[in-house]
Amino acid sequence: MMSHQLAAAAPRSGTECALSVQEGLFAGYELGAAYDEMFGAIHADGPAARPHYQPLHERLLQTTAEDFRRRKAMTDLSMRQDGVGFTVYRAEEGIERVWPMDPVPRIIPASEWRQVEAGLTQRINALNLFLWDVYHEQHILRDGVVPAGRVLQGAFFRREFVGVNVPRRIYIHICGTDLIRAADGEYLVLEDNARTPSGVSYMLQNRQVIKRVFPSLFNDYDVLPNDDYPAALLDVLQYIAPESASQPTAVLLSPGMYNSAYFEHSFLAQRMGIELVEGRDLLVDGNRVFMRTTRGRQRVDVIYRRIDDDFLDPLTFRPDSALGVPGLVNAYRAGTVALANSIGTGIADDKGIYPFVPDMIRYYLKQEPLLNNVETFRPEIPAHRSHVLENLEKLVVKRVNESGGYGMLVGPASTKEQRDEFRRMIQANPRDFIAQPTIQLSTHPTFVDGRFEGRHLDLRPFVLCGERVTVTPGGLTRVALPKGSLVVNSSQGGGSKDTWILADRTPPGPPTP
Amino acid sequence: MLSRVADALFWMSRYLERADHLARAVDVTFQLDLDLHGVLANPVELEWNALLSLLRQPPPQIRDGEHPVGAVQRWLLLDMANPGSVMSCVNRSRNNARSIRGSISPPMWRELNKLYWRLSDAGLPARVAESPHDFCEETQIGVLLFHGVCEATLMHDEGWHFIQLGRHLERAEKVLRILDSKFGLLERSDAADLPINNLQWGAVLKNCAAYEAYQRLYISRVEPERVVEFLLTNPDFPHSVRFCLSRIQQSLTEISGRLPDRCDDEVVRTVGRLLSDLVYLEGEALDGERLHSFLGNALTRCARIGSLLQQQYALQ
Repeated sequence: MMSHQLAAAAPRSGTECALSVQEGLFAGYELGAAYDEMFGAIHADGPAARPHYQPLHERLLQTTAEDFRRRKAMTDLSMRQDGVGFTVYRAEEGIERVWPMDPVPRIIPASEWRQVEAGLTQRINALNLFLWDVYHEQHILRDGVVPAGRVLQGAFFRREFVGVNVPRRIYIHICGTDLIRAADGEYLVLEDNARTPSGVSYMLQNRQVIKRVFPSLFNDYDVLPNDDYPAALLDVLQYIAPESASQPTAVLLSPGMYNSAYFEHSFLAQRMGIELVEGRDLLVDGNRVFMRTTRGRQRVDVIYRRIDDDFLDPLTFRPDSALGVPGLVNAYRAGTVALANSIGTGIADDKGIYPFVPDMIRYYLKQEPLLNNVETFRPEIPAHRSHVLENLEKLVVKRVNESGGYGMLVGPASTKEQRDEFRRMIQANPRDFIAQPTIQLSTHPTFVDGRFEGRHLDLRPFVLCGERVTVTPGGLTRVALPKGSLVVNSSQGGGSKDTWILADRTPPGPPTP
Repeated sequence: MLSRVADALFWMSRYLERADHLARAVDVTFQLDLDLHGVLANPVELEWNALLSLLRQPPPQIRDGEHPVGAVQRWLLLDMANPGSVMSCVNRSRNNARSIRGSISPPMWRELNKLYWRLSDAGLPARVAESPHDFCEETQIGVLLFHGVCEATLMHDEGWHFIQLGRHLERAEKVLRILDSKFGLLERSDAADLPINNLQWGAVLKNCAAYEAYQRLYISRVEPERVVEFLLTNPDFPHSVRFCLSRIQQSLTEISGRLPDRCDDEVVRTVGRLLSDLVYLEGEALDGERLHSFLGNALTRCARIGSLLQQQYALQ
């Protein structure tokens, strides 16, 4: 895939010292070992912008630091006034932080996007077939393609749901898959988020803001709109509604305004025109779900839930959950209400299952994966184990059965004590870990301290699965703002960028007279 | 509509109205204080303490080096430790709005959010020490913008009516309370103090954003009895108690889908009775002790309307 980029990256692999760009606000822009999104082939006078970045590069060269600062300030103000942000609550005082957006957009050409789109579609189809299989006949386990113990003893496998028929056989309706780019520019899957992925509202909001703040950037490009996402999501919700509901009522179930993703919950509910409900707004009576309204009870047919399995229903899962709805799981089992995503999808995006996704694609679809995983070592295999233990300072070690950034060792940034601790844990329970090489995520010009500097980023596209699979053109590009940092999470100094997918420049129709 | 949403709309609107009234009251008191400075012995004490007692607020703790009046202004406008301060009210209103962001129009949220950030930006509070005017004006303009945007961008359906209920119930209570607190002043009024009377009753009108409207209607010196009559019974002025009750009745009719005389709700009956008491109020009811008991009784009934609404619509 993308051999020209391989060629471009080759001269600066290894320990060769960094090259830099010297013009305008790009003066001193360094190219390291990582793939740079904007700068590619080396010319006599230094690195040059890749073809699809040339118009943007030229425009940015004409910008002054002052002008760009002004636009950045407009971006921040816009975000703050719209209340786009997450909340950190300390004691009684609510502290709100806006997630910073960098106004330099990330651009993905049509040809690259086609690959990504096809790869993501293939992947969600395989994951849905896998979930149906492991909750029913379990062919893949019996055929030994995925070790049975990995699934059946996985913390996110919902034994209670074996044999339950979910609407339209779809488990994952909404998936946010994290992609990164290797040094040669290849897109790799870092992880699938198949439970309650978030971030799509930032994707939509970033586009709105950049149109306001930097409209001239759009003149040189045909950017595919991403605005259809809420409508496409509503289509999915209606598609999975129980057949008895002729005019299905869908709601979005949120933990409430203190949840860090609350902005997104209300944003999506509003854009879809459905109610945003909290657990206390719903009740189950006779296995049917209702919401409490000023005119009494109203029937609910589909729930887009943004609450984890564990908190969904205190009668089935965690009894101390105040966020959920008692009886909801039984109503779901009885088929009177649909849930998106379904219960039990956590086994599909578990880190212990991740290494097997390419095999799933081969097993169910009889196809080769179009998007590769990051190379992953499984210490339970003796050869892998010795490699992992000998190279801890170069690897990222992740604990399976955990989500978020918990239980991780980032080798190059670790202390000897941490490595020793992980060494002991891996030796004691090798099955509980996977390890991956530390990937230098691709870099992108980002406005820092009055000029452009390279910062590492990833990409989370959003995939919807209903009557068909839809990959919204775009995604959330998260960028690690501290220099050299590879951590893009919003809680650790991450920001975001608008992500532009370019339209195919097909030849125009007959010229108008 | 979800009961929780109705509740949040109601309180979003109520807290905002409360902030609006308090900001106006502080500004009016500040101006009055400047005017009375040369005339009365201790206007500072008198007016600011009167405001505190109207709000049923204890005198605030005075910080080191703080002027007593500055302390009152800070306490009433800025202090988040005071649940009744303008900042606290705007914050609560905004929190209610945030909990139901999907049910209000995006421009409404934006206006409310902008108001909150303007008031919290360091510049404005810093200027309060010299004059609270800018802060108070910013608050009032923000509230007006919010309601203007609401009027123009939100469906005038059930949710909109809950917003109207919160706004008008709060406003009726505030006007009643202002009149009730000035009752003593009415007793003491003395022809010799005409100019001061004029100032003080003018301040009552300004507290209710009613000064110009009153002048237009009566074309004369401000007369206490007329002020009371105007603020209680005028059918057309948006800050009169009668006007507010009539709006409450309309909104209840729209929400329940039934005409007031076809309705057996206790809340509709309570509103109807209070409204007709105001419509058919006789002149002598505005005298002395009878007025005092009327105002007290009306306040009790307003509180009752609030709690009946909670029961009726399962507001939390």
